[in-house]
Amino acid sequence: MTVRVQKPSTFAQYVTLLRKDLQREFRTRDMLSSMAIYAFLVLVVYGAALSQTGSQFDILQMSGGMLWALIVFTSLLGLNRSFSYEKEDGCLEGILLVPLDRSVVFLAKATSNFLFLLAVEIVVLPLYYFFFLTTTTPQPTWPLMLIPMLVGTIGIAGIGTLLSTITTSTRGKDVLLAVLFIPLVFPLLYACVSATTVVVAGGDIEGIFRNSVLLAVGYDLVMVLLSWVLYDYAVSA
Amino acid sequence: MEAPAVQLDQVSKVFGDRYALKNVSLELPAGSFLSIFGPNGAGKTTLLRILATLARPTSGAVTVAGINLKDDADAAREQIGLISHNSMLYADLNAEQNLQLYARLYGIENAQERVDEMLDAVELSHRRLDTVRTFSRGMTQRLAIARALLHDPQVVLLDEPYSGLDPHAVEIFDSLLEAVRENRTFVMVSHDLRKGFEACSHALVLARGTKVAFAAKEEIDYDAFAALYHETVGMGVA
Repeated sequence: MTVRVQKPSTFAQYVTLLRKDLQREFRTRDMLSSMAIYAFLVLVVYGAALSQTGSQFDILQMSGGMLWALIVFTSLLGLNRSFSYEKEDGCLEGILLVPLDRSVVFLAKATSNFLFLLAVEIVVLPLYYFFFLTTTTPQPTWPLMLIPMLVGTIGIAGIGTLLSTITTSTRGKDVLLAVLFIPLVFPLLYACVSATTVVVAGGDIEGIFRNSVLLAVGYDLVMVLLSWVLYDYAVSA
Repeated sequence: MEAPAVQLDQVSKVFGDRYALKNVSLELPAGSFLSIFGPNGAGKTTLLRILATLARPTSGAVTVAGINLKDDADAAREQIGLISHNSMLYADLNAEQNLQLYARLYGIENAQERVDEMLDAVELSHRRLDTVRTFSRGMTQRLAIARALLHDPQVVLLDEPYSGLDPHAVEIFDSLLEAVRENRTFVMVSHDLRKGFEACSHALVLARGTKVAFAAKEEIDYDAFAALYHETVGMGVA
């Protein structure tokens, strides 16, 4: 049989790789379920730890930070898993044998990580509301926290995908990923915690919220572009 | 004169201060079957990874199917298929999904037909909807062959393809290789001297990253070659 090959567009290759990640996850559900269960358990622990505090004000002030601690640690769990199965049986090498731009591999993986993390956040958010906001009086602006959550998740997926690629072949990859990831993601984390806390507990929405979200968007642009550019070196190393 | 299928010109690969390959040069005519022998750590797999574009040489030039890898690695990748002891298949996807994935990435226009044809060729049509995780080692390796040959590559690289295969799987593997051998160039890393020598048209012996011997099969006396090989294996790793 004659094999007719027409080099596909970069976008078509991106969609193919993304579909593969989704197909695999919908079949196994190992990443989504482990992230969701972990997030739920951390929320339960937070809820128990804070159940005896008397001041509503304190919980509201802390809830933004706790939500982001939850997101960061849950994302670490997912990021570690997202590349472990690519290494299994040399699958990543199989993909790298294909004539495609390495940045497509990055974009597809970052998108799937973003979608999985977003799915977990959709599950976590009602629980977060139940544990922290039903017993207190949050500001009416609290739904605006969806904006920093979206922006923060993009940044976490972008830089996390690059770092998980780098660390996936190393010994002690779980610890190494955390050691590299948390300092690098700190500016984003700081901006997102500020923005979330302001809309939940109250404060200068015009000033703090706007500036924090802008800082987070700037971080996303720089770090995602940087990850995209560096990815070829990361996978070829 | 036809361009060599594989050409190495003073190729070196250095990891830290250790040479995995040192100034290796050779020319392999199109349609040849090169078997690479040598002890562990001789640089065989490193050489194969360089040919597969999975690693870059520290110095020297590599040409595959007439394409310099430094100039246009993507064009070379269209002509390269790699079968190794790793299947490069997603264990949680089924056989058809795995082949469809690679068919789409390579841009095979008649993808479904080609996937069906390759599944037939490796006698796995009846297991097409089963996940690879449920396959035996021999079945996985057969599917790996289908994956590697899906885009009809001109240069096929084999990294210890027999490792872990039972005799029946070896038989199927050999007959598959024989069926696709025409007009293709093969480069195989093997620890099995007799099997590798039987299959090859050219043989290369590496030790400590350097080329110890390279010759066409008709120029080689098997007994002398076997003696050289065993002496080389005795040299140990680099």
